[in-house]
Amino acid sequence: MGPEIAWYLGVSAFLFAVGALGVLLRRNPLIVLLSLEIMLNGANLALIAFSRHSGNGDGQIFALAVMAVAASEVVVGLGLVVAMNRKRITLDVDRMNVLRG
Amino acid sequence: MIVGAWICLLAPLVGALLVTLGGNALPRRGAAYLVTTSVLVAFGGALTSFIALLGKDPEDREHISTAWTWITGGSYRSGFAVLVDPLSTMMMLIVSGVGFLIVAYSIGYMDGDREERRYFAYMGLFVFSMLLLVQGGNLILLLAGWGMVGLSSYLLIGFWHERPSAIAAAKKAFVMNAIGDATMALALFLVIKQTGTLSFGALSDVHGTAAINLVALGLLGGAVAKSAQLPLHTWLPDAMEGPTPVSALIHAATMVTAGVYLIVRTHVIFEAAPKVQDVAAGLGAATLLVAGLIALVQVDIKRVIAYSTMSQIGYMFLGVGLGAYGSGMFHLMTHAFFKALLFMAAGIVIHSLSAEQDIRKMGGLRKLMPRTYWAFMIGSLALVGIPPFAGFFSKDPIISSALASGAYGDVLWVVALVGAFLTGLYTFRMLFIVFWGEPSAFVREHFHALKSDVVGVSMGATVGVLAVLSVIGGWLQWVPFWDPVDTWLETVAAPLVSPSDAQEAISSVLAVALGLAGIGVAWMLYAAKSRAVPRSALWQRLLEHKLYFDEAYDGAFYRPAVWLARALGRYVEQPVIAAGTREVGEDTRDLGGILARLQTGLLRTYALAIASAVAVIAIVFVVVK
Repeated sequence: MGPEIAWYLGVSAFLFAVGALGVLLRRNPLIVLLSLEIMLNGANLALIAFSRHSGNGDGQIFALAVMAVAASEVVVGLGLVVAMNRKRITLDVDRMNVLRG
Repeated sequence: MIVGAWICLLAPLVGALLVTLGGNALPRRGAAYLVTTSVLVAFGGALTSFIALLGKDPEDREHISTAWTWITGGSYRSGFAVLVDPLSTMMMLIVSGVGFLIVAYSIGYMDGDREERRYFAYMGLFVFSMLLLVQGGNLILLLAGWGMVGLSSYLLIGFWHERPSAIAAAKKAFVMNAIGDATMALALFLVIKQTGTLSFGALSDVHGTAAINLVALGLLGGAVAKSAQLPLHTWLPDAMEGPTPVSALIHAATMVTAGVYLIVRTHVIFEAAPKVQDVAAGLGAATLLVAGLIALVQVDIKRVIAYSTMSQIGYMFLGVGLGAYGSGMFHLMTHAFFKALLFMAAGIVIHSLSAEQDIRKMGGLRKLMPRTYWAFMIGSLALVGIPPFAGFFSKDPIISSALASGAYGDVLWVVALVGAFLTGLYTFRMLFIVFWGEPSAFVREHFHALKSDVVGVSMGATVGVLAVLSVIGGWLQWVPFWDPVDTWLETVAAPLVSPSDAQEAISSVLAVALGLAGIGVAWMLYAAKSRAVPRSALWQRLLEHKLYFDEAYDGAFYRPAVWLARALGRYVEQPVIAAGTREVGEDTRDLGGILARLQTGLLRTYALAIASAVAVIAIVFVVVK
């Protein structure tokens, strides 16, 4: 037996909070994507911890699914970032406000 | 018997449908022959029903055949049913028989019209509607036929749709009839509410004095509108805008007789509401007098005959209002003969004079068209009620019924006798002006005789048949000597009055004497010209304006309605409705502008909104839990 489940959840919450702050505060889309991955992984950690805690494999399967989605998302997101860089578009989310109402 | 009735009902519809579907593929004459044949087939069906019914016991003469359940709603259901009984077979024979002669006459009259096919399709529809009205096995089918008769008359009166006056007349007829349809529908609603059914038997189950009176009044309203009685008569003279055979069909075989049929068919409810019955008789008497007076000054040959129809229907209303159902129906039948004859003879005159209808331009036609003259003479004598022509046998029992109906009846009796005098006067005024004297310049210029081709034969032969019927048609019944019509109808509607022989005799003698007096006065004024026509500016103006009924309705309904519509348009529609919709649009746009500010286009704002919303949800979740 490893540490108590509370420790895992603590790490998970910390990771999620770090990721959320990164998404909200950083302007570089690359870093925003990176922070997003951290949030997802925080959530994954919680899923796996609960899975172990309740002796049920469902959470682990969820985590695998989340990873697959996250990987696809990163492919699209990074592709966008590279394309923007190629077009000499400043990599700053605050300056991309064409959809303003 | 039942098969005959169904054939009678559906044949004209099939004819009309075939002409409609055939369209230009059908030759013009072909359409005419097709519809004529279909109405003849209908007459054959009616005849077989009649003969089959004749062979049965008087008690066993009512048969209903339901094809399918037509309307179902809750506990209410009505079938598509035809009723075969003495009354409906009598009407079937009149409608399809006289209708056939009129449609056959149309072959000649409408020859060369650009839209002959449409005309004959409408004629078939008209005959079908009227047959539906008289054969319908319950009140709802009667109402359906009632409305369709209104529609067909609208289509035919406005047949020459390039004439604005014809369109106006058609609309007027439709609107006036719609008033009657509405009151009738309201009466039927009341019957449904009380009895839950619309079979003819339901009428005897209506209870409560107020309800009975209302139902009777509603039905009377329908009858008055359809039969052009006061005060809903104004459409009838204008309906002369249609082709002459249409006038004949409306006046003789169909449409205006529907009101009389309705009262006889629903006599149970009228007998339970004697006041309404008195109103019906009173309206009939008033109409026969007013129409007779107006007819004195009309100068259009068809309008004179139209007013005479109003007047004669007034006699029928008088009869059935007093409970003399057999006499009323018998007069309906003989009137169908001689009125169709008069219209069709007038049609030949109009046809021969290049569509001229003004009697002031006519004159001296006796020498140019002797056979038409004699046909017209027979029709006129039958109309005035001179023995041995048809009108004598049917009109006099109605007059004597009035004498046998108490003090109120005595008043009506006097009115009816005055009406007899007026009938003689206006009928022979028309006859003398049109046919006697020397041919006028107009006649000499425009007259062209009928040829003996299909046109001439179709018009001449049918008029000949009707002339014979106008002579012998009345011999069917001579109260009090023999009365097969009364006996025939007794199981449907037993008469309420039975005048004594003395009353019959005195009424007959007086009516004939007054009719002859009318003819005599007309001869003095218009043929011998031994006296000048008395003139009174006031009466002249009053009668030429038809007692100002049109003007009164114009002032009472049309003008206020137009004024109200203008006022509403100006003071309600513009400021409230039009401005209101504009306001709604503007407000929506403003609201959208405000909401659009939420869309900053900044990714981080959105992310923050999502994150804070999730946080709020999470907190609420935790707290509530």
